[in-house]
Amino acid sequence: MGREVSESCIDSLVTEMVFSFCNRFYADKSDLAARRIEAIGYQVGHQLSERYTMERPRFSDHLEAIKFICKDFWSEVFKKQIDNLKTNHRGTFVLQDNRFRWLSRMSVEPSLETGQEGENKATEAMSMHLYFPCGIIRGALSNLGIPCAVSADISNLPACSFVIRIKA
Amino acid sequence: MSRASGPRSGDAIFASVERVNAELFTLTYGAIVRQLLTDLEEVEEVNKQLDQMGYNIGIRLIDEFLAKSNVSRCVDFKETADMIAKVGFKMFLGVTASVTNWDADGTCCSIVLEDNPLVDFVELPDTCQGLYYCNILSGVIRGALEMVSMKTEVTWTRDMLRGDDAFELQVKLLKQVPEEYPYKDDD
Amino acid sequence: MIVCVAVVGHQNNPLYIQSFTEADDALKLHHIVHCSLDVIDERVNNPKKSGPLLNETFLGLLYPTENYKVYGYLTNTKVKFILVTTDLDVKDADVRNFFRRFHAAYGDAVSNPFHVPGKKITSRTFAESVSTIVKAFGLSSAG
Repeated sequence: MGREVSESCIDSLVTEMVFSFCNRFYADKSDLAARRIEAIGYQVGHQLSERYTMERPRFSDHLEAIKFICKDFWSEVFKKQIDNLKTNHRGTFVLQDNRFRWLSRMSVEPSLETGQEGENKATEAMSMHLYFPCGIIRGALSNLGIPCAVSADISNLPACSFVIRIKA
Repeated sequence: MSRASGPRSGDAIFASVERVNAELFTLTYGAIVRQLLTDLEEVEEVNKQLDQMGYNIGIRLIDEFLAKSNVSRCVDFKETADMIAKVGFKMFLGVTASVTNWDADGTCCSIVLEDNPLVDFVELPDTCQGLYYCNILSGVIRGALEMVSMKTEVTWTRDMLRGDDAFELQVKLLKQVPEEYPYKDDD
Repeated sequence: MIVCVAVVGHQNNPLYIQSFTEADDALKLHHIVHCSLDVIDERVNNPKKSGPLLNETFLGLLYPTENYKVYGYLTNTKVKFILVTTDLDVKDADVRNFFRRFHAAYGDAVSNPFHVPGKKITSRTFAESVSTIVKAFGLSSAG
């Protein structure tokens, strides 16, 4: 086992990163903030996939690479595997994590607003948060030679689904 | 000011908390720094923003520190600095720091870090020589101390990314606000 | 003795090449590295020829020349590592061990947040690690 840090470190860092980009650097420009958060994830995923695929045979097809993301990669990053993998066999894969760690541990900013407005803000903050893992997945796959688009679906909380569309 | 059971050691806390692969943390921090350099362009501004992010983290992390370490608020700056180095760094980053270079009146010291997971794999490019890569740490310390009523100034005096043999943060106590209790003493 | 190592990107763009000879044969070594890329592409695209090494990152001996042996390695991220040695009696295990360590050093180099994917590797730390790994080549099983 390599070096470890407490989980609070990564939780605090990611929360603060999302907060800073949304509320300080790109306040009122949420599309720009989202793109930056995704880009940070992309770099991390790109680097992690190099590290986590050392000493393993090359993947022979897309499905094998996606399975690697679901199992080994997810375990390294989130300490559990993806619970359900679906595909339409035409380049779209849906990875469902029944209890996505970063949402279950996410500390929603204490806010004075309550009710509908507070709830909307919480959902918005959550979706901004998800650009980071989406970027990680896209970065990892693109480094494995699989260009794709990744989005997240949280209509079934605390489950979270990541939808991967491979570009032809 | 410690409770009867006494403070727990940094090692004991680190062993008991949820831990993750340091790589994820290290690479995420690196990607943030690089994104800030791209977006903000000025290295000085990046230093400032990293410090601000650290400050925001510090003011929240102090609660976890106090709760898990079983330390009640330290009154003494000396004791506090010691707790940060020996317990704080260990329980979050898994590394031990030491406290040295106390000045005569006990209001200024150095926290020295020989091992630092933030900089695994990092090599500063020549264009970033003015960057305090780990500036988030100084912000965390400043923020955490402010929440226990100590206003400080935290500056880097040694940096391994700039060729020094260790990381050294100088922590200077500017003002200690007497603790205000939310309730009256019932004497 | 290892005379040359190289890292080549997925579009056959050179990312790192270092020769370890006194002689003025850099051009010749670069040519050998260049030729080996075609051999790798051919192997990977014709899986039957790679036989038991199917999909293994270690590609084995690519081709022997009169004076050199050339070995190859292809990562999951489509990056090629090339090793050129003058040793005639090379143990497979030594080459595998070399690539394993080389890959780890490469993985650390591209983990530098300031490294730009697809750009040349300029890291001093990487150059030092490579030099150490090259010097250690074959020593473990020398006895």
